[in-house]
Amino acid sequence: MSVKDAPRHTRWPLLAVAGVLGLLLVMTTALERSAPIAPISDRAVPMLDELPVPLVDEPLRCTRTDVRADIDDLRRQLRPGGRLTSAVVHGCPRLLDGKDVIYIGEVVGDVLRRSGGAWVLVNDDAYALEVGPLGPHRERRGFNTGLAVWLPDGQHEQLGDPGRHGNRGDIVRIEGVFHRADPADGGGITVRAERLEVLATATRVHEPLDLPLIIAAAVAAVLASGAWGWDRRRTRGRGV
Amino acid sequence: MSTVLRPNVDDLRLIGFYLGKVIGGLGLIMLLPVPVALALSEFNAAAALVLGAGVALTVGWLSDAHLETRRTLSWAHGMVIVALAWIVGAAFAAIPMHVSGRFSHALGAYFEAVSALTTTGMSVIHDLDHLEASMSLYRHLLQLAGGLGIIIVILALFSAGGSRISTLYVSEARDERILPNVLRTSRFIARVTIMFFIAGVGLLTAALTHAGFSPLRAIEHASALFFSSFATGGFSLMQTSIAYYHAPAVELLVMLLMFAGMLSFALHHALWSRDLREFTTHLETRTLALTSGVFLALMSLGLVREGTYADLAALVRRGLFTLLSAVSSTGHQVNVGETYLTDWGVLAPAALVGAMAIGGMASSTAGGIKALRVGLAFKSITHDIRRFLLPESAVVVTSYHVGRPRILRPDTARAATTVLLLFVLSFLLGTMTALLSGDVDVTEALFEGVSVGANIGISIGVVTPDMPRLLMVVYIVQMIVGRLEFVAVLVLIGYLLSFRRNSRALGRTPR
Repeated sequence: MSVKDAPRHTRWPLLAVAGVLGLLLVMTTALERSAPIAPISDRAVPMLDELPVPLVDEPLRCTRTDVRADIDDLRRQLRPGGRLTSAVVHGCPRLLDGKDVIYIGEVVGDVLRRSGGAWVLVNDDAYALEVGPLGPHRERRGFNTGLAVWLPDGQHEQLGDPGRHGNRGDIVRIEGVFHRADPADGGGITVRAERLEVLATATRVHEPLDLPLIIAAAVAAVLASGAWGWDRRRTRGRGV
Repeated sequence: MSTVLRPNVDDLRLIGFYLGKVIGGLGLIMLLPVPVALALSEFNAAAALVLGAGVALTVGWLSDAHLETRRTLSWAHGMVIVALAWIVGAAFAAIPMHVSGRFSHALGAYFEAVSALTTTGMSVIHDLDHLEASMSLYRHLLQLAGGLGIIIVILALFSAGGSRISTLYVSEARDERILPNVLRTSRFIARVTIMFFIAGVGLLTAALTHAGFSPLRAIEHASALFFSSFATGGFSLMQTSIAYYHAPAVELLVMLLMFAGMLSFALHHALWSRDLREFTTHLETRTLALTSGVFLALMSLGLVREGTYADLAALVRRGLFTLLSAVSSTGHQVNVGETYLTDWGVLAPAALVGAMAIGGMASSTAGGIKALRVGLAFKSITHDIRRFLLPESAVVVTSYHVGRPRILRPDTARAATTVLLLFVLSFLLGTMTALLSGDVDVTEALFEGVSVGANIGISIGVVTPDMPRLLMVVYIVQMIVGRLEFVAVLVLIGYLLSFRRNSRALGRTPR
């Protein structure tokens, strides 16, 4: 560290670093936006319009103890025959505790087979019911949301591959009982299914190759190889 | 005549040289998941990772070739390099994430990279449940690198630097050298990590297979759980975090890994050397045992009062896991975040906020204020009370045990309380910005502000992919200063200001 010595130009190196970072931002943003996008008809769930409407249009939220007294009032606002959504559950878990519900969504992750049945995660977010898994398209709709569902033996056997990268899982309609703190799951939020219907079978989701990205990656690899070679030559030149 | 800091081009060269090493090291980390991507035909993810690695390695090797210098590192250099390593390094780490299209904007990808490297574990990724396995692995590897300390990871990768690089080790908020030599210390940390990796992944694979996973999926999830639990990071392969598994054995193993990650590496060394007395007398273990016990009691009382769980088993399972996740600063969740607001009442989340604020142990992978500082602050308060109660002529000596018996000195107490105060200011900054930015109430804003500022990662729902950008920026700042425990970032700010003074002086110098 120099102390009180004559200052030398530090502006240009700093500006050069800022310039490189800015250039990286511009280039990566351009690459992100140039990704090929599959048409929407390949990814939308076809029978969305025929699904039962949600219990409520706007998500509810029960935040304090005094709201508990109003739960019966809230229940009266629910649409008869409407389907349960994870947003309603998370916003007011006590609202439908122990009640019969209809729940619709995509089976994602794994089918965890246990004695007497299987656990599945059923997402009812936009990727499950509206736009399909992210990857082939860039319609970002936020976090995944869903509910754990216990399927007794005789029901989970009909499921195909669950939703993961490159795969949209079965879209299922579940009739069952909602539990806010299921003792059989150590207090977890669950739906215990009594009836399962596969509305749309699992399907592969093809993500188009992102050629601009692949070319950019190849160029970056060549640049890195060149930098490595240069570094090696200089190291040898110093006799290290 | 006052001494004035005036960094020049040679200082920049030195900083750039070491910063390049760190960025190059991050490039190597980006390459690790590429074989997985190719094996699973995730070609776009492979390209994103190669792009990021190529750019980072180019910078790393160019700086190595062009900027090498024989100058020695001063403390200021060390602090600046470490602060920049986390700030600029995260920008390079964010490249594969940004081009993957999983984030709302570049800032979101940067948030994710910072969250991974600082082991906060808050995520703003869209559609995690359909994410490529290779990109998931990358996120988790970043967490492990961040948890162990980027500098430590680079030391392990390059096995070079010796005494010159010890300055960086200490600057990275690791003030406890376990062994006399920093390289030996870093290798001890690597050995502990590998041992836990083998045991943890093996046992988790067995538990996951028993829980219904196919063998390959069990290995994938076990590895991810190890990375995020031992690094006290908190990322997960599924949006529902640990609640996804419905398996008490998995939860127990994750709790053990979180506990191991929360312990300082010095205590690991003591346990390794079978020095159990060190474990029981250490100020941090005592502080953590006391504070965790109090917070567990408060949380249980709150949950019982609220009637959240009908049976004791559920209360213990959910409550204990959540508390350990908070104290260890991991951030794994067995509950949906929003239900802390809608189903946990008031007292239980408040206890959780307290536990999150304190966090784990110093010189571990954990975040938060750290039990050591809380313990020292408490000792300092009792010291002052005793001093007032005793005659003025009495000499009051307060001691504590950290590695060996030590006497509490005013400098030590002041440093601990200063950082504690800075953490509180950081929590307030996050809370106030959340209240200003969005439609959240004070409980949510405080919960999230503390969780982010203490690098915990348990979210109540304020952090979302489309949160206001100002709030995202403030949370990024909170995560970085929290991980580096303020000093390195404050030194960096001072350094940048000195550049400004430098350029003014240059303007006055006759040409």
